[in-house]
Amino acid sequence: MKPTRSDRSALAAFMAPALIIMLVFFVIPVIYVVVVSFLKWNGISTASFTDIQNFAKLFNDKAFVRSVINNVIWALVAGFIQVPLAMVMAIILSRKPRGWKFFRTVYFFPQVISGIALATLWRAIYSADTGLLNGLLRSVGLGSVARDWLGTVDTAFPAVLIYWVFYVGYYMVIMMADITTIDTSYYEAATIDGASDFQQAIYITIPLIKRTSLLTCITLASVLGLRQFEQVYMLTNGGPANTTSTMVLYMYKKLQDTNYGMASASAVVLIIVGVIFIVCIRALFNIGNDEVRAQKKVRRAVK
Amino acid sequence: MTESRVHHKLSPKEIIVGIFRWFLIIFFAAYTLFPLIWLTISSLKTNFEFLALSPFALPAVPQWQNYVNALSVAGLGRMLLNSVIVGLLATVFNVIVASMSAYCISRFRFNGREKIYTLFTAGILVPLNALMVPYFVIINKLGLYNTYGGMVLLYCAIGIPMSTFLIRGLMDSIPMDLEEAAYIDGCGFYGRFFHIILPLSRTGIVTAATFEFLTCWNEFVFANLIVSSEKLRTIQVGIRYFTNQFSTDYVSMYAAIVISIVPSILGYILFQEQIISGMTSGAVKG
Amino acid sequence: MKKLIALLLALVMVFALAACGQQAAPAQTGEIVINFPSIWVGTDSKAEYMGKLIEAFNAENAGAIKVVVEEQTDYQAYRDKIRTTITTGSAPDVCILDTTFDIKAYAESGKFMDLTPYLDAGWGKNFTDGAFDAWSVDGKVSILPFESAVFTPIYNKTLFEKAGWDHFPATYDEFFQFCEDCKANGINAMGQMAGDNAWSSMLWYSLIVEAIGGKDVYANGLKDPAFVEAAKVLKQMYDYTFDGAVSATAGDVNGHFIGRDTAIYLNGPWWIANFYKEDNAVDGKLLADECEVAVNPSYGDGKGNGGLVTTVQGFLAAAKQDDPAKEAAVVKFLQYVTDPTHVSELALSSGAMFFVKYTPSPDTNVISQKVTEVANSAEFTILHVNGAFPTAFSTEFPAAVSALVLGEVDEQGFVDMLQTAIDNAA
Repeated sequence: MKPTRSDRSALAAFMAPALIIMLVFFVIPVIYVVVVSFLKWNGISTASFTDIQNFAKLFNDKAFVRSVINNVIWALVAGFIQVPLAMVMAIILSRKPRGWKFFRTVYFFPQVISGIALATLWRAIYSADTGLLNGLLRSVGLGSVARDWLGTVDTAFPAVLIYWVFYVGYYMVIMMADITTIDTSYYEAATIDGASDFQQAIYITIPLIKRTSLLTCITLASVLGLRQFEQVYMLTNGGPANTTSTMVLYMYKKLQDTNYGMASASAVVLIIVGVIFIVCIRALFNIGNDEVRAQKKVRRAVK
Repeated sequence: MTESRVHHKLSPKEIIVGIFRWFLIIFFAAYTLFPLIWLTISSLKTNFEFLALSPFALPAVPQWQNYVNALSVAGLGRMLLNSVIVGLLATVFNVIVASMSAYCISRFRFNGREKIYTLFTAGILVPLNALMVPYFVIINKLGLYNTYGGMVLLYCAIGIPMSTFLIRGLMDSIPMDLEEAAYIDGCGFYGRFFHIILPLSRTGIVTAATFEFLTCWNEFVFANLIVSSEKLRTIQVGIRYFTNQFSTDYVSMYAAIVISIVPSILGYILFQEQIISGMTSGAVKG
Repeated sequence: MKKLIALLLALVMVFALAACGQQAAPAQTGEIVINFPSIWVGTDSKAEYMGKLIEAFNAENAGAIKVVVEEQTDYQAYRDKIRTTITTGSAPDVCILDTTFDIKAYAESGKFMDLTPYLDAGWGKNFTDGAFDAWSVDGKVSILPFESAVFTPIYNKTLFEKAGWDHFPATYDEFFQFCEDCKANGINAMGQMAGDNAWSSMLWYSLIVEAIGGKDVYANGLKDPAFVEAAKVLKQMYDYTFDGAVSATAGDVNGHFIGRDTAIYLNGPWWIANFYKEDNAVDGKLLADECEVAVNPSYGDGKGNGGLVTTVQGFLAAAKQDDPAKEAAVVKFLQYVTDPTHVSELALSSGAMFFVKYTPSPDTNVISQKVTEVANSAEFTILHVNGAFPTAFSTEFPAAVSALVLGEVDEQGFVDMLQTAIDNAA
């Protein structure tokens, strides 16, 4: 809609609070970060300009390159494995099987449990000697597979990633709320035509949530994947040999080293990688295209 | 629609699908409940049992003392209350500001719209740890160091890009002609926002609010940075009371975590019953 | 439902306003408030006595000075906060610093109070000889070394007997014979960890570096051949520790030792209290009754003999004050905390050691006494590696150790990783 003249002032009033906040808490601080990314500074002594040396150092550091790769993998797994899993569960639960409210609540629990607790539990599960996973493997005669899951180069990153993929509650709740707004007459008609639950999910549910909650969840999950810090920090602290490091963890360690220049440079890289990632996802869903957006989605609520 | 399907005879294929469905439901439930159960059991052990014996064994004698220890932390209740106050206030302000800006970005083609949206999107990606120094300076300059106001403002602010993104995503899916019709009927800017768009965007608003509240609830770095008074400490500080680089009292920490989880789970159950169900079944005014 | 939400919100607002009101209450006139963010709280062994000490100080100076403690329990968050406050020029009135390598930079920054005149006026005599040497800038002391720590192995006699040994190995050659005997008897010789901050491995590495390189090992940075040599020894040790040491954390190391399956333990004096905890007794026998204090074995030509690995566990610092009355109050508080009689009590209750001359209480436990004996008989001391190098060394150390142990890099590569990390931050 093109704003009319009378809308203009209202529009300005509506945008103002968000814009002021963005200016004070994002634009100015990020300018600060960009400036510091070209400096050599420990926060105490005088800073000196170093050209693009911080960025050069970053890309010469295997740990950082590994972090970027890990984050991209994380974002892809989150967006294209975790979210689809969440979608499957959302579709199943939105059919309201027995106890669905209970399950919907339970699936959300990990979001409210402190990250420290989740990390300690999974450390214990993956542990080499007393770990639950190794115990399970040994009891089914696969003792040769047992290992120090978080202390082996090949398994540490998959181990950190996999346990977390199955915590789908948050995305599931978002998509369930969306699915329940779909007009039930669609399903009724499909059932009369003899469509199976599976066919109904493929031809009705998914197309109707694709550009709303599914896209939202995929973007959200990818962004959180790119910003991943807490779980890795508490589970492995980036080890062994930096193989599980992520960009934010890397940045965090540089802050500890009072290496403000490289820390800021890695923050800048993270923002750039992230923007590219989001643009790609939007292109994939063909969003931003007005014709597509104009395609109307019929919802019960709108009728 | 479920009811109509229950009574006819099930084919073998439907039985397999049914088994598979229940397998998934139960697998995910077990997967999410396990940490909670493990945490509760661990919180009843001695540190010796937790550290030196199998982490999955049961305690010989339940150590209720750990809960006494956890509760003895000065002002754990106060910390919980602070987390709730700060979290709720920040969430309310956050979603108000974010839904206003999301409305503008979603519904109007004005100059600079795409640039503003890109700015918001980039905002989601900023690693906030890098902003400790500027945030500390800003909060100090505003005279909000060591106040509820400082925490509320900072939490509200850092969630703006994410909330705008989540709410805008939902608003984009609301057909334009609805609003155009209202416009032709003489409904003004505010009328359209409050009577058409806002009610229809409740899913997005609740999603954003949940996300924002959880962010506030779990945030530790800034809670520690911009506050110094014990009276203003949040629950994340309380949980860390038992961790120390050189001597961690694991079991008391778990007890503290369990205590801190109870209100959030109760809150969530209440929240979802009151709001999510209301949101999805509520009638919509045009 | 709307009403409910409105009610909830109203309630929250009232709470918030009420709390803000409390916050805004002005300080009593004339009272000097000293802000002290402290990590000696919570489960820290010094928490209890420090709490009492500050309470007593406030009572003695009621109406004139009030020390307000800001409880900080997470070391990393505490460091982040202190660094941010110093960077932005708003350092707290009194604070604890522990990143040894940064101390000189902090002292040079001029943001901390010059304590030299007060120390020269007599206060300095309370501190151990030469305590300030390494930390003063241009002869001025602004940051006080306060808590010290020594690192010497403690071993489980019962497990030694089981492995057929009646004494602690005197050389590293003998040490690895002992390790073999342990392995044959299903005992872990010592605990190692490369997870988290790789604390135990960092301490073992420091001991080996000391044994090989001796007194001046840090003189040429990481270029001393002792660092490569020590890496070899450290890697070898990983063959004799428990399964999964690469991902292990302090909890695992402690768990194995109190679980009586690991023979040698290495940590600072703050851990000694755990030897006496009933919780950690097995079959009614305290851990302390099974354990004995040892000294670092010698290596090769014995360059490191008689040496001891130590560190400054905590420095006390005070921000520069414009108001002389406040400066006097801060100094009074620092003098109170570092008073020998108070430090003696603090040492007794916590097991920690200090850079203050004090008479140890006769009630000091046996292990603490023996550790103190080891400390007093040392001919020279060196810092542990984390303390001797910039923070970048300690953040990279876990990655370097795990890479070394897993064969991702060789010994030289291990040292190179650490050197690169230091260079990047320099």
